[in-house]
Amino acid sequence: MTEVHEEKYKRRSAGQWAVAWRRFKRNKSGLAGSAFVGAFLILALYGIFAAPYPGRSFACLYQGCANLPPFQNWAHPLGTETSGIDVWSEIAHGAAGDLYVGVAATVISVVIGLVVGALAGYRGGVAGSLLLGLTQVFFVLPILIIILLFAKILLFLVAAGLGLNLIVLALAIFGWPVIAFIARGEILRIRELEFVQASRALGASNTRILFRHIVPNMLSPIIVIASLSVAGNILTEVIISFLGFGDATASTWGNLLFDGFQYVRSSWWVSFFPGIAVVLCVLGFNLLGDGLSDALNPRLRE
Amino acid sequence: MASLLSYVVRRILFAIPVFITVSVITFLITNAAGNPIDIVRLGIKNLQPSQLVYLQHYFHTDQPVYIRYFYWLSDLLQGNWGSSLYSGTVTSLVAPWIWTTLELQIPALLLSLAVGIPIGIYSAKHQYSKADATVTTTAIFGVSMPTFWLGVMLIILFSLNLHWLPSYGALSIEGYYIGGNIVIDALAHLLLPLFVLTFVSLAAIVRLTRANMLETLRQDFVLAARASGVSESRVTYRHALKNAITPVVTVVGLSFGVALGGAPGLETTFSWPGLGYAFVLAAGKLDLPVIQAITMIITIMVLAANIVTDLAYAYLDPRVRL
Repeated sequence: MTEVHEEKYKRRSAGQWAVAWRRFKRNKSGLAGSAFVGAFLILALYGIFAAPYPGRSFACLYQGCANLPPFQNWAHPLGTETSGIDVWSEIAHGAAGDLYVGVAATVISVVIGLVVGALAGYRGGVAGSLLLGLTQVFFVLPILIIILLFAKILLFLVAAGLGLNLIVLALAIFGWPVIAFIARGEILRIRELEFVQASRALGASNTRILFRHIVPNMLSPIIVIASLSVAGNILTEVIISFLGFGDATASTWGNLLFDGFQYVRSSWWVSFFPGIAVVLCVLGFNLLGDGLSDALNPRLRE
Repeated sequence: MASLLSYVVRRILFAIPVFITVSVITFLITNAAGNPIDIVRLGIKNLQPSQLVYLQHYFHTDQPVYIRYFYWLSDLLQGNWGSSLYSGTVTSLVAPWIWTTLELQIPALLLSLAVGIPIGIYSAKHQYSKADATVTTTAIFGVSMPTFWLGVMLIILFSLNLHWLPSYGALSIEGYYIGGNIVIDALAHLLLPLFVLTFVSLAAIVRLTRANMLETLRQDFVLAARASGVSESRVTYRHALKNAITPVVTVVGLSFGVALGGAPGLETTFSWPGLGYAFVLAAGKLDLPVIQAITMIITIMVLAANIVTDLAYAYLDPRVRL
């Protein structure tokens, strides 16, 4: 974001983004969202480089401190689980796992969605109608059920080799149509605007119009939807792993919640703390998305 | 009226390609290993010879994949859904699950609409007030929460610590009803999952109603109505609400779909014997006929809800019928 801020002074043409950044700075919930997201990035780095226990480690069982309540032994601030997992360490590892799943699946969906949406929107014709039909199908599909089914079969087929990439794959395959739908709509809208017509009249090539005029103008809705899609992907990961449809050897919040639910009668803290992490992280991306949407959407400007 | 009728017909015709796409996806996923029996073998180590013969017959494994699909689809359309690999025919198993799922989903949908739309309107009318801040904060927490996790937290509080409400199933065993009455017992079981589902759907509906209402209140015709001296409540309820509510109506179908998609998580948490819990159990045992049937039933339910809401939309907004 700071780069965009500095650009305001260097180049006049960056005005659109500078205005958006100025609006975003005034948006308290958007800033809170970025702070949450930043905090979880730090937590994920802590998990990778500095957490006291490795991911899915049952070490506490051999140290005789399994099933420890929280806030009693400061070596295990959030307690330990019955089979010996340190909850605080595992939440930090889960932050890395879930951010990876959320962001990677979103990046893949955005890339596929943009390419397909751009082709369908700019070329139109049969491909455009087919894509429109396909995305409308995806809107009414019970996506979560299909993803669960897909993940389960994939898990059986490739055993445990894919790890978290299994969930990334499942989320990306069913995530791109929404992006493609939005991208196509934006392209159809922008290519009819006067400045694009003017550019075409001046003899600009299709490629130049697409990348110089259309793509920069369709980025803002895509950025907003990407932020919200990270939130959605994390929630879906949590459900997939909680139901035991993911790779149980990976460190994710969903797997920790799965463990917690097995011992919900004796150890409430194993269900409570990872859930709080999920809520705050998803909330962060949702607030960020809402803040970006307010900053980038000219219709809401007063 | 003629245009409405042709819209209805077109809308129902559009459901056909959707249904076919879902059936292809479901079929392809369950045939991903090239052969459904290979998948079943991975999950069930000691497959009985009788089960094997049944599977070969049921999936027509002597035929190529695309022919198998047509066999499967024609069986599906004729209501011939085969048998579970464990016990009973799919049709007899599925019927009570559908009922139990709807027992939870429909009251939650109606409640969240009845409460969500007024809250959304109030929040939009009093934008930036304290009440609006409370509503928007609660709503964004609601949409950021895994449904099942809220359920787990309520089970810990109300079932395991306070011992007020049951956490398991839809009914107690006969003779052990809570309060000695089957109705009270059913309500006691329904209360926690219903609250969870309503809260989460409510959050989405409140956010949507508020956003639409805000956008409508900013439009020129509202300004014109105000300028011509129409009272504020008339502007809100006669002019703005009508225009803001139509997009909310379309989302009813969508949110019903989302809620049904969340059924596996929520129903597993409360061991609620509906389609979602049955799906999770069947997937764990790789009971392919049951898995396929549940996927298709949920799709049909979501499609039906979407058609109904689209028709309501067409009724409310004449422009869509064109």
